[in-house]
Amino acid sequence: MKDSFFRSMTWLHTWVGLLTCWIIYVIFFAGTVSFFRDEINLWNQPAIHNVQAQTDRVAAQRMQIVKGFDYLSHHGAGSNSWRVTLPEQRTPYLVYGYAKPKEPGQRRSQFVNTQLNPNTMQELPPFVDTKGGNFFYRLHYQLYYLDAITGRWLVCFASFFMLLAIISGVVIHKRIFKDMFSFRRNKGVRSWLDAHNLSSVLALPFHLMITYTGIITLIFMLFPYPALTTYDNGMRGFFNDVTPSNNVTNKAQGSAAMLPINTILDQVYTKWPDADIRSVRVSEPNMAASTVTVLVDPGKALRDQTPRLLFSGATGELVDQSADELTNSKALYESLNSMHTGRFATPLLRWLYVLGGIAGCVMIATGCIMWAKRIRERSKGKASFGLQLVEGLNLATIMGLPLATCAFFIANRLLSPTLSGRDDKEVTAFFLAWLVAGVIALIKRDKLQWRVMAAINALACLSVPVVNALTTNGNIVSYLMHKQWVLFIFDALFLLFSILFLVQTEKLRTATKAKCSPSSSRSNTSKGQKA
Amino acid sequence: MIDLLSFSLCLFAFNGFALAKFNHFKDVFKKRPTELQRKQFLAIAWISILLSLVLCVETQSGYGALLFCGFMSLSVLIITIFYNLLTGFVKVFSVLNVVLIAVSGLFLALNYH
Repeated sequence: MKDSFFRSMTWLHTWVGLLTCWIIYVIFFAGTVSFFRDEINLWNQPAIHNVQAQTDRVAAQRMQIVKGFDYLSHHGAGSNSWRVTLPEQRTPYLVYGYAKPKEPGQRRSQFVNTQLNPNTMQELPPFVDTKGGNFFYRLHYQLYYLDAITGRWLVCFASFFMLLAIISGVVIHKRIFKDMFSFRRNKGVRSWLDAHNLSSVLALPFHLMITYTGIITLIFMLFPYPALTTYDNGMRGFFNDVTPSNNVTNKAQGSAAMLPINTILDQVYTKWPDADIRSVRVSEPNMAASTVTVLVDPGKALRDQTPRLLFSGATGELVDQSADELTNSKALYESLNSMHTGRFATPLLRWLYVLGGIAGCVMIATGCIMWAKRIRERSKGKASFGLQLVEGLNLATIMGLPLATCAFFIANRLLSPTLSGRDDKEVTAFFLAWLVAGVIALIKRDKLQWRVMAAINALACLSVPVVNALTTNGNIVSYLMHKQWVLFIFDALFLLFSILFLVQTEKLRTATKAKCSPSSSRSNTSKGQKA
Repeated sequence: MIDLLSFSLCLFAFNGFALAKFNHFKDVFKKRPTELQRKQFLAIAWISILLSLVLCVETQSGYGALLFCGFMSLSVLIITIFYNLLTGFVKVFSVLNVVLIAVSGLFLALNYH
């Protein structure tokens, strides 16, 4: 009974893992990169490279908001929506934006944004069109080119499979604590198994948390029935109920002058004297029905929805606000959501999230490589179509994604700033590079192809800081000299990965050489004879 | 500095867990540990890891448990590297770990208001 239980769990772990490992790898990879979404946005916009973080950021917020309202009342007079987005630690610039009238067929209004340096209050050079870190974020949870709902369903299924694979993996790993710190080098498949176990165990709490909370982020798509049965207008009614901004029932007609924003800010600071305001949004400005929403930073609280206060723009009356004390169910949902995104995490915690993400990528990659190696050993040279497919997908995914990522960043620097649809072309560069990796994997999938891909990746990773240095005013040395740590670490990471890929190229070269050398084949033969 | 202390305690705990294992102890000290030594290592490791958890949750509130999970991952990674690839440096590393705990603890104690 016990034996058959372990055998069935092993079967479950193998097949559940193998069926979705490549899609899970993409989700993990993009998710890990997304932890640096704001930092990628910063690197992708050379216009803000020299903007220094404000030292008295919170103290300057009132003045920035008041100036923003002056600006918007002049420039966005006819608009139905205004936004003042204040600088933060990771996004050090100030944005004043107003919505353009919607064009036919458009779901959401486009914003005309003016970015300013908060230290000088001078307008920054025009921003280039780029998806930045948001591309990886979208790739992570809806697989980018797919229809949003289809993509999310696929991600949900893959996450379920991942959760099953993790739990069954814990069950079948009998020596989980005995082998906790063990890694046996140069032992063939045994080493791959050790690497798989180690990368799984070292971040096991993270893997479980991130997979489970990942499913929770999409829970209302997976399980909408309670909301559908409780609210007359289904999910919309539910979301209106839990989001203060949607509760506004101010149907006042006609125009009315906006109350000075200082009156509203006085109320905000009375309620929260140390408020760190993130943004101020106005809907229907200069109308009797106008609403001013003030969003503040939740600090260290595990909350996904930013705390907010809603005021009538015409009278200054407090219309609605987010609850100070969340209900148990909402607190649970919000904390699980914010655990997944790590949105308000400190830089240290963010790096630890990335470590967990990298461990996840290694766990998935070693798992699928190990399966292919085992089957190849058993098949004694005769590779079935299934094995060839797995080996091809392994090569294309594991080595293709880093190449595609480099292509995305190189395209960001090489595409002309005035090119129309520039942001989409960056994404095209990403998928074209991935396609190239796929074509290489289609031709052959042995050690030579892995070596070629490792060499290409080393070159591509090296190209990112080099191209950056050639196309912008800064480079890795100047970033270090001027203490521009985000930009410095960004370039340094690519150099580090370039070195790692070079080491991989060299390792694969010596491994191939050892396999082909007559002395090694002689020793293999003698070992075989002894056996 | 409090994060450094939490992390050093977590690292120290996993160092203790590793030394409580026969094979790792033998790799470092070239002899088998006695049953008493094993129990002492385990006791110290558990106390240390619980202290680390308490410090993380106390100082970081909501994100403390996550920070602790991250510290555990990083600690296991470092311990694995030392016990498999740099076995000869484990003693030096352990001493440094203790010094780190002492220095960060002392710094916090002196600056405590």
